[in-house]
Amino acid sequence: MSAVGLDPRVTGAERYSADVERPGMLHAAFVRSPHAHARVRRIDVGGVPDGCVALTGADVEPLGIYGCQLKDQRVLADVARFAGDIVAAVAAPTRVAAKAAAAAVEVEWEELPAVFDAVAAVAPGAPLLHEHAGSSAQDAVSIDVRPIDGSNVCHRFLIRHGDAERALRTADVVVEEVYRTPCAAHMPLEPHATVAEWDGDALTLWTGTQTPFNVRADLAGVFGLPEERIRIVAPPMGGSFGAKTFVRLEAVVAALARKAGAPVRATLDRTEEFLTLNRHPATIRVRIGARRDGTLVAKELDCWVDTGAYADCGPGVATKLGYAGVGPYRIPHVRVDSLAIYTNHPPNGAFRGYGAMQSVWASERTMDLLAGELGMSPLALRRKNLLRDGDRFATGETMHDVHFEECLRAAADAVGYEQDPRGKGLCVLLKGMQTPSRAQITVERTRVGYVVRSASCEMGQGIRRSLRLMGAELLGCEPGQIEVPDPDTDTSPFDTRTTSSRSTHMMGRALELAVADLRAGDGERGTGEIVNEGGLDPDTGQGVASSHWHQGAAAAHVTVDEHTGAVRVEHLHAAVYAGRVVNREGAELQNEGSMIMGLGTALLEGVLFADGQVTNANFSDYNIPAAADLPRRMTHDLIEHEGAEVHGLGETALPPVPAAIGNALHSLGLHVTELPITPESVLDAVDRR
Amino acid sequence: MTAATEPAWLAPSSLEEALALRAERGDEATVLAGGTFLGILMNQGFLAPSAFLSLGRVPGLARMEADGELRLGAMTTHTAVERADAVRTGWPALARAFGLVASPRVRNQATVGGVLADADYASDPPAMLAALEARTVLRSTRGERSVAIDELILGYYETCIEPDELLVEVVVPPAPERAVYRKFRSRSTEDRPCVAVAATRGGTRVRVVVGAVAETPQHFPDLCALADGEELAPGLCDEIGRRYAERIEPMSDARGSAAYRRRVTAVEVRRALEDIAP
Amino acid sequence: MNVELTLNGRAAVLEARTDEMLLGALRRAGLLSVRETCAIGMCGACTVLLDGEPVSGCLTLAAQVAGREVTTVEGLEGSPVQRAFAEAHGFQCGWCTPGFVLAAQRLLELNPAPSDEEIAEGLGGNLCRCGSYVKIAEAVRRCAS
Repeated sequence: MSAVGLDPRVTGAERYSADVERPGMLHAAFVRSPHAHARVRRIDVGGVPDGCVALTGADVEPLGIYGCQLKDQRVLADVARFAGDIVAAVAAPTRVAAKAAAAAVEVEWEELPAVFDAVAAVAPGAPLLHEHAGSSAQDAVSIDVRPIDGSNVCHRFLIRHGDAERALRTADVVVEEVYRTPCAAHMPLEPHATVAEWDGDALTLWTGTQTPFNVRADLAGVFGLPEERIRIVAPPMGGSFGAKTFVRLEAVVAALARKAGAPVRATLDRTEEFLTLNRHPATIRVRIGARRDGTLVAKELDCWVDTGAYADCGPGVATKLGYAGVGPYRIPHVRVDSLAIYTNHPPNGAFRGYGAMQSVWASERTMDLLAGELGMSPLALRRKNLLRDGDRFATGETMHDVHFEECLRAAADAVGYEQDPRGKGLCVLLKGMQTPSRAQITVERTRVGYVVRSASCEMGQGIRRSLRLMGAELLGCEPGQIEVPDPDTDTSPFDTRTTSSRSTHMMGRALELAVADLRAGDGERGTGEIVNEGGLDPDTGQGVASSHWHQGAAAAHVTVDEHTGAVRVEHLHAAVYAGRVVNREGAELQNEGSMIMGLGTALLEGVLFADGQVTNANFSDYNIPAAADLPRRMTHDLIEHEGAEVHGLGETALPPVPAAIGNALHSLGLHVTELPITPESVLDAVDRR
Repeated sequence: MTAATEPAWLAPSSLEEALALRAERGDEATVLAGGTFLGILMNQGFLAPSAFLSLGRVPGLARMEADGELRLGAMTTHTAVERADAVRTGWPALARAFGLVASPRVRNQATVGGVLADADYASDPPAMLAALEARTVLRSTRGERSVAIDELILGYYETCIEPDELLVEVVVPPAPERAVYRKFRSRSTEDRPCVAVAATRGGTRVRVVVGAVAETPQHFPDLCALADGEELAPGLCDEIGRRYAERIEPMSDARGSAAYRRRVTAVEVRRALEDIAP
Repeated sequence: MNVELTLNGRAAVLEARTDEMLLGALRRAGLLSVRETCAIGMCGACTVLLDGEPVSGCLTLAAQVAGREVTTVEGLEGSPVQRAFAEAHGFQCGWCTPGFVLAAQRLLELNPAPSDEEIAEGLGGNLCRCGSYVKIAEAVRRCAS
């Protein structure tokens, strides 16, 4: 018996950022604000023992500010904008010593009024978090950021397609409802971990990240260095789901390492994970107007998206949330106003689904309300209005490669919806992919095979295996002959980032070009690049939202214990359009994983706050799905077609799950509008029925 | 969180030695049984012991004996209770209550004595032991006393155990005719309970103990007395459930509001009584 | 203090403070499959076998394992359970996998032919955020007799 040849994840040999050791390495601990909004008056590091290095505001004063879409973050906060904001840092020989030293730092605070709700944050008189919301960031961004100066709105996304207000006035039936989704925690099992080391004025970071080139660009701005002097190495992550994107710890750890004159590692403890990056809460008002026969004529969405203390990619999320909320339907008149709003909560950012879950919950629940008003089957109402090839979406773009009907039919059939819809609910969705973006890849021949270099980061989604499988097919060799090194900005070609379920689709196509290039040349080396163009006019939402659409549907069959409100999911099915599956086990795992995370979103998860303090910052008080929480039956489809393109699917099966369950409850007369759907909220719905 | 100097490690190899150390050090030496609860407190920074008094080497504390009554040594693990044939046949609801605690890992490490001494309001075994009228044996150099569960547990993580005492054994009387343990979780199957109910019936005499809703296990003999001499029909089960719900003062937390806990208490007490009805 | 134990089949000594958990001591000894994750014994990513039974490395004081046997996944050397996880691809990011492998190993020792319910219950204390439970269960079923 031997472990040789077995996947390192099964033998325990896989190494993550938290395992990186550098000679002379020190350990970091952070001084965090206990207040949700407070200015730092004074910091006293007198209590920090010898042998420790303290980093305070004075040290980082000359450094630049950063932010992936809006530059609104400092290396250390001079005004703490959320409880947990880092105002000082300490490095020490051991983690224990660092924590003790951090606890010895004394801070004098000037407390400021705080706001904890996105709707309240745009009401007159709300305290302003950022004096000037900054200007639109360059290169790595995909959208024009539109802050509303003098307010807490760091971005507003608009769709103006036709005249929705007028159309609603003349519609036969109009339904309106307001929905709320809470903050949620990604809960990757591996916490954030970053190691920074300077060599003269050259900086190297080993950090678990999905966005190495973004991080490099932002750090270059922070330290005033050319990007080439900064090297980001991205080891595989023990889960991320969006948590490990853009600059998180990298700037403060690099600053600390520079002051200490030694490498520094920071590994967050679990409580700190809740203070780092979470999922955007949203309040969404939906109005849909239709004709008596069920033809949709108009839709209005008003979305208040809580981006927390710093914008991070909130503008992008508010945008995606905005257009995903329109749904995969033909609607001639659409108005969307989606605001990314600052509040004194930890920053919210990329979270699997990137805003789609929140607006799909609101939009698809409202479709069932409309079906009820019309006396129509929710399935029939959807089918009547689904986008087909050649239809135009609310952004004005023409839809191609459309498979919504197929996904919806597969989901409905799986639970026997048409035979008996009682206790069953449906959801169909469209989700965009990062547009524009750029993916480059190189292939080099080696003695034993090939090495494929790409900056696509491994976080469990299986991109390394996908690249090996695709490479093997293209190069005519065994997958085991292809080496896929960890992303390294010194040696990996450029990739926009590993988000948005884009990597297999984009890198796969780039790989085809690289192999063709290799064959056309000396057979030693080839390079390929794929670019997808597009973008939306920020004032009208017209243009190309996504060069490539993620399409899927879900169906749920539930039973309810009407004495306790407990919901049991008897059957959950997701049908996802895959086009062509490259890595079968990987694709199945991603569908299953997305569905399970969707289940958590639907029934279990929410970060709880009291006056801006997280009150359930641990694995006991915040529940993620365990094995026995799975539905009695959980099935899924990966829909493929001969000759089709690879379609990304790392997220698609998550957003439709809560709405499918919510609609299933609706079919039993139980109307819920907030997530998570707790037994208590179901019992309230039973009382109201 | 750690003490500046390494804590003393006291590992007595007899009960006499352990009791002598307890008398000498009192609560300055943290008693270590299984260590799961202690580990959580230490990892979260709530406790930094200056000395440990480990019971791991004290012989005889992990004994389990059943001859009419059940005697569980304080160092018996949850897993051992869950798996013991004598418990599964003689006190099946107790085996089940121990088997529902947390995860296999916790059950392999956590002990009978520890779960009672910790007095975690959400723990399963205390409520079931209270319903079964178990008594704990507290020993010190001064002697020994026998304390019922409701006298032992005084409040959140608070017991009547004196600084010189050790909980050494739990004695469970012969099991009544019927017993049941119900654990209602409002979220994940791995969550702490929202409401838990332990109920026993001997003839028409019932004992109902509600756990996880308040700082101590909740038992109301006057409400249970409604069943005396009566047939435990659905209407009576429902009434006792409703009255328990009215009587308790439940907490609000991530698992449910106080109002919700009240409603579920009524349901779960009713269901527990229905489970043990003749 | 010096803690003498049998570690993955060999006599070993772990150096640890009296108030230090086994998790930290094992990682310092190079056993990086044991991972710091939740610190409260909920997730199972730091599972080790102590005298053959799964416990949380984060809640076991290093001093408590003196004279006992500790097994981590590094000590399995390609067991049938490991092979089954590899073949069924019962993992995604891999962080939780060592804990699941050890838990599954013990589950199958106690119950060689577990039902789906028994698998879900037996592995209940091991969490996988990637959501690999379906294929993890398949891996366990592959080993069932």
